[in-house]
Amino acid sequence: MFGRLLKLVLAVTLLGAVYMAVTMTVGGDRRMLLIGQTTHAHHQLEMACETCHGSSIFADAEVAEKTLNKNCRKCHENELKAAKDSHSRKRFRNPRMAEYWDRLDARRCTTCHIEHRPEITRASAVTVAMDYCVACHSKGEQDIRTTRASHAGLGFETCATAGCHNFHDNRALFEDFLLGHAGQPEPARPVVHGLAARYRARPVSTDKALKPGDAIAPSAALAVPNVLEHWADSGHARAGVNCTGCHATDLAEDAPKTQALAHWIDVPPMNVCMACHKPQAKTFVMGRHGMRQHPGIAKPRNAQRSLARLGLSQVMPVSMSRWLSDPAVPAWMTVGEARLPMRADADPALAIDCGSCHGEHALDTTRAEVEACASCHDDLHTRSYFDSPHHMLWKLERAGEAPPGSGVSCASCHMSKLEHRGQVRTTHNQNDNLRPNEKMIRSVCLDCHSLGFSLDALADPGLIRKNFTGKPGVHVQSIDWAIARSRSNPDAPEN
Amino acid sequence: MLTFTEELLLLLGDEEGLFLPVKEHAFECALAGAILMDLAFDFRIDTDLQALVITDPTPTGNPMLDRVLEKISVRTDITDTPTWIRVLATEDAALIREQALDSLVNRRILERQHTRFLGIFRSVCYSTLDEAPLQAVKSRIEDVVSDEIPDPRDVALISLVDACQILPDLFPEWETKQTASRLELLRRMDLIGRELTSTISEIQDQIIRAARAQAAHFKQLTLTLALVASAAVIATLLVPGIGIPDHYGPSLPAQLWFDDSWKQFSGYLLLALSLTGLMIALALKKQLLVWLSGSHRWRLSHLALGIACVFVLFMHTGFRLGDNLNAALMATYLTVLLSGALTGVVVGGAPRIKQISLSRVFAARRVLIWVHALALCPLPALLIVHILTVYLY
Repeated sequence: MFGRLLKLVLAVTLLGAVYMAVTMTVGGDRRMLLIGQTTHAHHQLEMACETCHGSSIFADAEVAEKTLNKNCRKCHENELKAAKDSHSRKRFRNPRMAEYWDRLDARRCTTCHIEHRPEITRASAVTVAMDYCVACHSKGEQDIRTTRASHAGLGFETCATAGCHNFHDNRALFEDFLLGHAGQPEPARPVVHGLAARYRARPVSTDKALKPGDAIAPSAALAVPNVLEHWADSGHARAGVNCTGCHATDLAEDAPKTQALAHWIDVPPMNVCMACHKPQAKTFVMGRHGMRQHPGIAKPRNAQRSLARLGLSQVMPVSMSRWLSDPAVPAWMTVGEARLPMRADADPALAIDCGSCHGEHALDTTRAEVEACASCHDDLHTRSYFDSPHHMLWKLERAGEAPPGSGVSCASCHMSKLEHRGQVRTTHNQNDNLRPNEKMIRSVCLDCHSLGFSLDALADPGLIRKNFTGKPGVHVQSIDWAIARSRSNPDAPEN
Repeated sequence: MLTFTEELLLLLGDEEGLFLPVKEHAFECALAGAILMDLAFDFRIDTDLQALVITDPTPTGNPMLDRVLEKISVRTDITDTPTWIRVLATEDAALIREQALDSLVNRRILERQHTRFLGIFRSVCYSTLDEAPLQAVKSRIEDVVSDEIPDPRDVALISLVDACQILPDLFPEWETKQTASRLELLRRMDLIGRELTSTISEIQDQIIRAARAQAAHFKQLTLTLALVASAAVIATLLVPGIGIPDHYGPSLPAQLWFDDSWKQFSGYLLLALSLTGLMIALALKKQLLVWLSGSHRWRLSHLALGIACVFVLFMHTGFRLGDNLNAALMATYLTVLLSGALTGVVVGGAPRIKQISLSRVFAARRVLIWVHALALCPLPALLIVHILTVYLY
């Protein structure tokens, strides 16, 4: 019996070893090789290893790390540039900064962010101790405890956790910015957010508006309950976009109706939406919802090419080489794949695309601002929103009892409005101002609140969980200290 | 005429010509006792209740016997038989075995053959050239156990064979109870000459006592080490993984568990230790490490190596069990370690539990050794992939 068992175990081991060797060198699902859970940011693309690990097999460790860092920058560099990165790679590549390289090498993202290490991953995917500022700011002219009297007794673990500093993005925390907004009172309510007001009260073209009778679609499609009504009431109908605009896109605009139906597709791909809504699509693929469409994601390995390189393409049957293909990154994230708490009644198979928030025919931006989010997300912050002052303002605006732009929806904060060449657009990259949350101050909070209140509110995790129902329980002293320093030493350089 | 030592070795020979112990703990004592019996039958030593004394220091002409005789005459600090058996068993058993095998080779009874295992380890085995002496020894034992009136040398021989506990292996058809009662009867009979009776009886008793004491000593050590190993493996499973230190900067935990160079060092050290354990087990199976054979020493060294492996595993992982392939590797490795440790617990601890029958102990040991061996099979493949992933990605 032992002999038979031994043979069985050896056979299974051999098969497993061959399979693993093939997946590593030719193609196949390599997720079993992951050394640990991928972070929330990257788990959606973990099957496309080459997105980050771009160096060739058995490349030198230094080369491999450089490639890894290069790939980090490929996706995150623009974001860091926009954030006026306080510890930019460019600054630290300067040889004059060489003495800091051994302390904390800010030239490399992997110094502080290592993937697949959940056991050491802290907030913002940091994988070093949170008092990392001590590495450089505790010695010589950088010793913050001696250069700033206010910082003398502070622990380095508080630098980035008390709402005062961030490693990269300090746009709302620079001393000159603090001084510029010092003493600001809380604005009187209701406050109207200018861009939101312009967006919500935007004029809708009526000269091209289509009626239900203008719809060009197969009768079976028109018979689907609510579809026609939703479309007729949508921005598409008001802007003159007929059914064929999405369902028969390869058709000439003036083609006859009969021809249109021949080109009909029941479920248009999201490329159809993207073709017209380019700015929204561009930011959507940068956020968590749409990142699987990010252009930086590596293509699956070509098993045929790998086999040819190994001289096996003639030996291996085509069906086998197909079986060895890398799993393609799914087009969209589904609710079931989310790491954040989701509602039990949310469909786990629901793919997050334009239609899942806006509705396929209604294209309801109002629903997309609140109800769509709350139909899936089920964390305390989301649930508390409905009892918060923000929601009360939203309800008043919806009821017409408050001016447009005064209501605060989920999207007001997490998908803020931007102005580009005179047009108001919604960023669909909800991560753009999410972490660290101080990123929100300039783009969102200051529209309605003072800087002091915003700093305090965002530094209070309890208040955030309650969706800002109540007063901040903590006070960030940044502004007080900046004022005191500027008074005592008006010539001191600001930063 | 063959000496007792040579006769005993002939009986211990197996089909592969390895001539090694069946019951290791008794083997060394039996060899020591055999040589004392040879000296007693040559009227060179005598024993009484207090001491073992030399009655005739004249060399016997047999280098093996003469070396031990000289040792007894030189070492005046040791006087009693039990101590001499223990000393000879500990210090001289391997040499006695080699000298006895040399003698058998010189007499053209055995032929020495040198081979290499895996092209590295030198291995020596002995093929039988002349079957007659072995058959003669076996028939003498058969005669003694049957109703024949035995010769004093036969009684002494069978007491040695009994001490080695190899009678069931030599004569599986014999009824154990029947044989035991016959042996007991033989012991009570005054069959050996008056001048030798007390010496032989004393040596017989002391062989058994020394063998038992040595076995008990090793079993105690085995149990202790096995319990330590088991506790260490269970702790690895249950203790939460150690996180990154709360303070930035060089520190032992940060270096040990999160520095790539240190992790490589501990990883390769673990690999080296594991390979050593595997090679020792293989070498013992092929009888390549004679110095580790003949007692529980190999088991103790195997257990000590297992404990070292758990310690280095802790250095490598900090109690973190890993994910995916690493989790599979960890599970397999811990299964190997735990099954090995539990085998040690069964071997070392079973004699203490009177309620458990020997057959159950053997069954438990067999199952654990199976698990130990089966879990070892996927380990090399998992380890290779684990190492490759570090360098590939």
